[in-house]
Parts: sequence; structure tokens; C-alpha cells
Amino acid sequence: MATATQPQPPEVLPERAQPIAPPSRRSRRRLWPLLGLTTGAVVFLFPFYYMVIGALQSEPNSDLSGAFPNPANLTLRNFADIDGAINLARTLLNSGIFTGGALLTTLVLGLLAGYALARLEFRGRGMVFNAMLLILIVPFQLLMIPLYVMIVRGYGLADSYLGMILPFAVNATAVFIFRQFFLQLPKELFESARIDGASELKILTRIAIPLAKPAILTAVIVTFIGPWNEFLWPFLVTKRLDLQPLAVALANFISTVASRQANPFGAILAGAVVLAVPAVVLFLAFQRHFVASNLGSGIKG
Amino acid sequence: MTAIATPATRPPLRRRLLGRQPLGYLFVAPYVVFLAAIFAYPLGFAVYISFHDYFFAAPGAIVERPFVGLQNFTDALADPVFRRAMLNVVVFLIINVPLTVAVGLVLATALNAAIPFRAFFRASYFVPYVTASVAVIGVWLWLFNSDGLVNNLLGPLAPDPSWLVNSFWAMPVIALFATWKQLGFYILLYLAALQNIPKELYEAAEVDGAGPVRRFLAVTVPGVRPTTTLVVIAATITGANFFTEPYLLTGRGGPNGASVSPVLLMYTQGIEQGHAGYAAAIGVLLAIMVMAVSLVNRYLLERS
Amino acid sequence: MLGTRSRLIVALVVVSFGLAACGGGGGGTSATKAASARGPIKIWYSNNAEEVKWGKATVAAWNKDHASEQVTAEEIPAGKSSEEVIGASITAGNTPCLVFNTAPAAVPQFQKQGGLVALDSFSDGASYIQARTGPRADQYKSPDGKFYQMPWKTNPVMIFYNKDVFAKAGLDTKNPPLKTYDEFLASAKTLVAKGGVKAAIWPAPSSEFFQPWFDFYPLFIAQSGGKQLVENGEPQFAGPDGIAVAQFWKQLYDQGLAQRELYNGDAFGDKKAAMAIVGPWAIAVYGDKVKWGVVPVPTKDGKDPGQIQTFSDEKSSAMYSSCKNRSTAWDFLKFATSKDSDGKLLEMTGQMPMRTDVTTAYPAYFTSHPEYTIFAEQAARTVEVPNVPNSVEIWQTFRNAYSQAVIFGKADIQSAFNQAAEKVKTLAARS
Repeated sequence: MATATQPQPPEVLPERAQPIAPPSRRSRRRLWPLLGLTTGAVVFLFPFYYMVIGALQSEPNSDLSGAFPNPANLTLRNFADIDGAINLARTLLNSGIFTGGALLTTLVLGLLAGYALARLEFRGRGMVFNAMLLILIVPFQLLMIPLYVMIVRGYGLADSYLGMILPFAVNATAVFIFRQFFLQLPKELFESARIDGASELKILTRIAIPLAKPAILTAVIVTFIGPWNEFLWPFLVTKRLDLQPLAVALANFISTVASRQANPFGAILAGAVVLAVPAVVLFLAFQRHFVASNLGSGIKG
Repeated sequence: MTAIATPATRPPLRRRLLGRQPLGYLFVAPYVVFLAAIFAYPLGFAVYISFHDYFFAAPGAIVERPFVGLQNFTDALADPVFRRAMLNVVVFLIINVPLTVAVGLVLATALNAAIPFRAFFRASYFVPYVTASVAVIGVWLWLFNSDGLVNNLLGPLAPDPSWLVNSFWAMPVIALFATWKQLGFYILLYLAALQNIPKELYEAAEVDGAGPVRRFLAVTVPGVRPTTTLVVIAATITGANFFTEPYLLTGRGGPNGASVSPVLLMYTQGIEQGHAGYAAAIGVLLAIMVMAVSLVNRYLLERS
Repeated sequence: MLGTRSRLIVALVVVSFGLAACGGGGGGTSATKAASARGPIKIWYSNNAEEVKWGKATVAAWNKDHASEQVTAEEIPAGKSSEEVIGASITAGNTPCLVFNTAPAAVPQFQKQGGLVALDSFSDGASYIQARTGPRADQYKSPDGKFYQMPWKTNPVMIFYNKDVFAKAGLDTKNPPLKTYDEFLASAKTLVAKGGVKAAIWPAPSSEFFQPWFDFYPLFIAQSGGKQLVENGEPQFAGPDGIAVAQFWKQLYDQGLAQRELYNGDAFGDKKAAMAIVGPWAIAVYGDKVKWGVVPVPTKDGKDPGQIQTFSDEKSSAMYSSCKNRSTAWDFLKFATSKDSDGKLLEMTGQMPMRTDVTTAYPAYFTSHPEYTIFAEQAARTVEVPNVPNSVEIWQTFRNAYSQAVIFGKADIQSAFNQAAEKVKTLAARS
């Protein structure tokens, strides 16, 4: 994998990577990118916006005018409808347990593994890394039925949270992200700590992890999305309705009972909005932390 | 735990055998156990059944599953549907990967700057990644319908037959959809990587008289090289395994198989029709192709 | 150019698949012991809202009188088709005793997996089925002559039409001109031109293996006088009747009277299509949304409605080999298909139980629901999917050829069908 190191910072505390320019040029130069960004944002956001509007309308309107709805047409009834059809609270809880379990194991085991793969030298390290790449490459559909047989028949974990969580327990992408990030940290950081007599565990917890905030936050978001939106696997493993996460309940709803509702399209979109909101909130909360960490201080200290 | 003073002569046997920090084994052990328990067996099993005329049966049922050697593989390579599916993967990757890298990095750089409403902009690019495919595909179906918004805007330029039922345009539309949907993730990765580029490098470049585009090309692009490798490989892998789009957006690989994907084939063959062995052969062939492409990408990207 | 490390990984994979070869076994239920055992059982029914109501009522009635043989019921986990769920469940060995939503097209596959119990193993198995369903029951026998499914209920496929749209287009709403292909095409043109709909009829153009059951197959059955897709190992669809049906549909697509794009929802219910080709279960869905009428499917030169046959869209109940208390399961199956229970099914869902005497056994129902009488009469003349090996793949092969030649017009119908027929013939002959 990538062994090219980052350009080494000089002995100055680096701040946010931000080009300097005189004030008037700065604001003029910002206009074009801002315009481009706004256009892009509109394009990206439009389907989501349409989804939210659709969820709030009492009658589906598939014309262009539906994008700018009549305020009199707005209602929260679709949310009530979808809650009546699938128990939103219960399915959200199931989604939370499923995703939370996967997050926990990924963070703990993933950080350990990522650190080891990046900064601990042991024979066979490359092999483990290549095995991980192999796992990333193989499509889930190839493994699905043997995995299903193993977990349900072999381990007897049908209809259980553990059975749902198990294939997602350690997200390979997260481990990848951790490894890449630890590789980017300067080698001297770890060498100096080792010379000072710190144990590897202490190095990991006291030094590496606090510096790895952006990577951890990224990994949390990435690991969150997978199980949160996952439909196929929990669908196979759980037959009991009270164990199903929201993504599964919503998909079932779409394919079967939707047509019975007064406004099926609206109810589906309402469910989709409920499913999307926690992820967006999580992202908004975390992205504030995407500012550079103080790399230099680690070396000097 | 660590050796403070290393002997000037040959390192001790333990170090030669196990490496400098054998604690690494302990750290990595739970993950390896997980990999072995959850993935090694199903993967091995999948490879095993690809050499047999295999189907899954009830426990205790006595069924014949003859060994057929490479026949599943030759059948797949000779099947025109499979070959079309592989071609579709290539088209998809050609559109999706470069677009993802270029647009992803440019957007991440723009979103890293101190612009007004930064949080809003970041969120808006991220939102498609987060919404469930099932819900958002309904909107795209509406947009690209024969009398949908896109065709209304294009007027006489609209293709006939319309996008999703057009053998030529179906795959590009799918690639566009997938790029749009996944971009948030890659922007996230690039955002995190951009935090590690020290300001001094930009300052130095500006002192040398470099404009914003030149600074981007000379500082940003090389600075995020490891992440670019990650993005290319991740995009290739996700792209080769695309399934939801033909499953939901183009009615199972329509029109007439123009948007069929290898994973969709695996699903219809393996799970619907019960030819698990054949489906496994397709999966193995796909995995080999992705590995080859990834290796090539890695080689190209890491020549410094 | 594989390095040492990569070679080691390949070795790991090879070793693990060697180990994997030992896997896959496991104890099943001793069949003879289970056949006479009694005790609590689990069943699945479909998640159609009305069927759920029926299911709950029937289970409650049984449980009242059978304290030691309680039935627990669940809705079948849904998906685009239930085959994947049941198939996966068979593999895991956790299917319930009975599934009240087994598609006849999937039975050969489940049978091959060793997942089904032959109902002939019960002393009154075959006789009960034949007494209840009559001569139609033979279509549900497997090639080995045994019953691995009990035909339960049918939804004969007919043409629904929107009376308001027909009136707006100036067509007769009591006896709409939909008997022959020429009449149907002419009406379709008028409907799209003057009726304010985007399509005259909008069957799903997607490529799932079961879609032919809702466009090609019902018309083929009507036109050919009751032939199945495959009979005695010979594909039937490439003959003159099949070609005629295909050409009819092709004209609808070519003239823009049926759409080549998927509709996200129900086109008839949303008033985007003037007609729908579906069975009586849809009545509960359309309800008051659409003022509907019903006629039999068209044939090339028109036939007397009393002669027209159609696709049954039948669902069976089957007993699965993971069942431990089979005697109880069989008794419950008989209970759920008794005259009483069938009557409740009819009342609650409007779907036709597979009884020989449907029209005569429930006179009160048909007096108060005259609109269902036409379905009950049609139910006596339904044809099923052929019970042959590789049935799902056969339907997929057919659908691919149909999609290419008829929907998208990219190939000549006769040659595409001929090619498909050759493949289908080999598939049906393979075991």
C-alpha cells in the first residue's frame, strides 16, 4: 500500500491549510467557486428536497409544479401513516442497536488492527492487509448464502441482534481508513515515544488516537451508513417483525402494503426521510471537527 | 516491552522470526479471527461450489452435486449476457472513477475553504450518500421519465427512446446516478486528508507566484496521493459490484439486458434460479477482474 | 508476479475451501417419526392485509379447540418474490411447518432442495386434495405423480377497465369492445387519444421471471384453448398461437399504447392506464378509487366468454420438511381449507378458493357481491404454470426472449421464440 509519506512539516505549528491573499482579491476570488458550489448543491440536494416535499404533501403531485408546493397542501399525515404501518419507534430502536453494535466493535477492533497494520512491524503484516483487501473486493452477494447458512444453521443465530451484527462487526473500510491515517502521521512521533519507554498500548491511546480525530469521525460516519441503510442481510436473518430495522421494514412496506395507503408515495417518502435524518444529523455534528489537528506539537512534546 | 538498547550484532531470534513489535499479533488478532470466522469460510465455500453443479438444499437432504471442474466458468465466459454484464462494468468504471476522483477532490477543496454556509454546503453534497437507495431511486425514475423533468428541460435534445429505456444511455445514467450517490463518501475522505496538508506549502507556492489552479495541482493533488489511491480502489470495487441500480432503476437490467450487472446476474442465477455453483463462478470471475484492475491502478498511482 | 504474501493468501483460501467441503451436512428430521407426531406448529401466511385478517381468524378458531396443538402464525417476510425467502429458509432449516403462499412455479425448486413433504404420505392426502379441487388438481402434481403442494386459492387474471375513462373516450362501458385483438387495438388507440390516459394498458415491462404471467401467459392460455407454456416436455409458445399473442402485444408497444418504462406504483389505480390485467385481489386495492368493470382477456378472433380460459395466479399451501409435528400440520391444513374456512377466505379477501363448488357452495356471498361472480365462473377455467424442473429458469429464458422481441422490438419474434424454445426444452429435460 502507499508508503509515500506526507511532506514533512517545518518546525512551526501548522494552522488550517488556507491560502492568504489581500482582502479585496479574496472576496472576488471566492465568488466563482461559491457560484459553482451553489449550483452543485442545488443539483445534489434536489432529489432529497423533492423527497422531503413529497413526504409533506397530502396528495402526490408528479408534475413540475409539485416541486414548489402550495402551502395549503402540506401535512404531517404521511408521517402518521407510515408510523401506523410500521412501528417507527421500534424499528428505529432496532436500527440503532444493529448500527451501534457494529460501530462499537469496529472502533475498538478496527483501531487496534489499523494501528498494528500501520505502525507495528510483525511478520505477516502484509498478508493480513492483503486479506483485508480481498474481503473488500468480494461482493456481498457471493458470500451471502454461505454466510447465511453458517450464521443461521451453524451458529444458530437466526432472529437475533448478534446474527444481524456479525458480518458487519468490523468494517473493512474503517480499518483501511485508520491504517492510511496512521501511516500519514510522522514516524518520528512513534519512535520518540518508544524511546521514552511508552508501551504500544499507551502510544495508541495517548498519542495516536487523539490525533486521529478526523479519521475516527470519518470512520464512524462510514461505519454508520452501512448497517443503517442495509436491507438485504437483516431481511434474511430476521423473520420476526419486532426485530427488523427501519430499512427492512420500509422496503417491505414498499413492496407490499404501500398501495393500500391513501397516499402511498407520500408515506414511503416520509419513512425515507425518517431513515435519512439521523445520518445527516450525525454528519452535521461531526463535520465541525474537520479542521487540522496540531501535528507539530506531538513532535516537540 | 520495547527493546531500549539494541545489540550491535544480529537481532535476537524472536525479532527475526516475529518482527520488531510482536505485540502487533495481539492487536490484530481479534480482527483476524473475525475475518477467518466470518469471511474465510463463506469465501472458501463459494470458491468450492463454483467447481460443482451446486444448489443449496435442506439440512439432511440427500442430493447429488457432481463435480464439474471448470464448466461453470466456461459457461459463464461463453454466455453473451455475462459478457454484456462485464462490458457494462467497464463502461461504468470508465465514467464513474475519474469523475469521482476529479469532482470529489475539487469539491472537497472548495468545501475546505472558509466559505459562508460551509456546513450547509458540506451537508448538501453528503446527503445523497446517506439516503437509502430505495427512496431516492423513485425520484430519479420520476426525473428521467420520458416526460420527466430532464426531458422537459432538454426539449428537442431529449433522446428517443428515453434515457432509461435506451440501450445506449441506460448505463451512463446508472453510472451518473451512482457517482452522484457515492460522492459524499469520497468528499468526506478527501476532506479528512486535506487537513493534513500544512499551510506552509500553500504559502510557499504562492510566494513562487502560483495561482489557485497551479497551487491545487502542485500542492493539493500530490498531497492527498494516498487518499486518491484509496478512493480509486474503493470506487472500483464498489462500482464493479453495482446491484441496486439495475435491480430497482432499470427493471432488472433493462432495456433488454443493456444495464445488466454481474452481481445482478449472480442474484438471479444463484438465489432465484437456484444455480448456486454458476453464480459462484460469476462471482469468482468478477473478483479476479476487480483484483486485476485494482493492482493496475495501485501500480499506476504509486509510481512516485 | 504473485509475491510470497499473495501466494500465502491463495493458499489460505484453498485450505479453507477444503475445510468448507466438509461443511453443509446436518441432521434432518426423521421423516417417519415426524409423520405421526403431534404438537405445536408454526405457519406463515402472506402479508396481504386481507389474507392476514383471514389467517389470524382461522388460527384463533383452531387454537380455541386444540390446546396441545397450538398454531403460531407469522406474516411471510416480504421481498419482490417470496421464493428467495423460502429458499433461504429451507437451506437454513428453519422453515415453518406450513406456508400459505407457496408459488407453484417455485415448487419444483423447493422439491429439488428436499424442502417439501409429499402430502401423499398421509393416508387421505391425495384423496382430500382431489375431492376438494376436482380435475384441476392434476396440474399441481409433480412429475413423480405426488402432491408436494395443496392448491389453495386462485385469482383468475382478467381485464379490468376504468369506466370513467372509457366513457370519456366514447366507448361502451357495459360491453366494451375488447373481445378480439383488432377490437382491443382500436379501443386502445381511442383511449390514449381521447381518454386522457398515458397508456391503454400498462403491464410491467421489467425482466423478472414472473412478469409473463401478467401479459403474455393469460392471453396465450386463452388463445390456445388451455395450453401450458411447456407440455410433456415440449415448449408450446413458439407455435402459431404464441406468435399471434406476441404480435398483439408488440403492436401495443409499437403504437405507444403500452409503455416501455416502468411505472413507479399502480398505473391503473393512479389513472395513468385505462386497463389492467390482474385478478380479483386487486379489487380491495382499487376500491373506490376507480370505477371498474371486468371482461375476460381477448383472443385473436373472439371467443364465447364461457369458453375463455386464463392464468390462475394461484397460490398453494405446502408442508415443509423441517416440520416436526406433521400430523398436526396436516390436520390444520385440512381445517384451513374446509368449507367454512374457504368461505371466510372468500368473504374476507375476494379471492377464489380452489374448490370445485365455489359458485354453488356460497350463494349468500355471491348474492351480496355480484361483481365477484364473474371471477368465480372464470375460476373454473384456469390453467397453471407447468410443474417441470428448472421452472424459474424456464420462465426467465422466456421473459428475456419476449423482452427482446416484443417489448423492445430488437429481434424477430419467431426466431427469438424458437431459440428460447430450444433452451427451454433442454432445461425441462434436465433434472
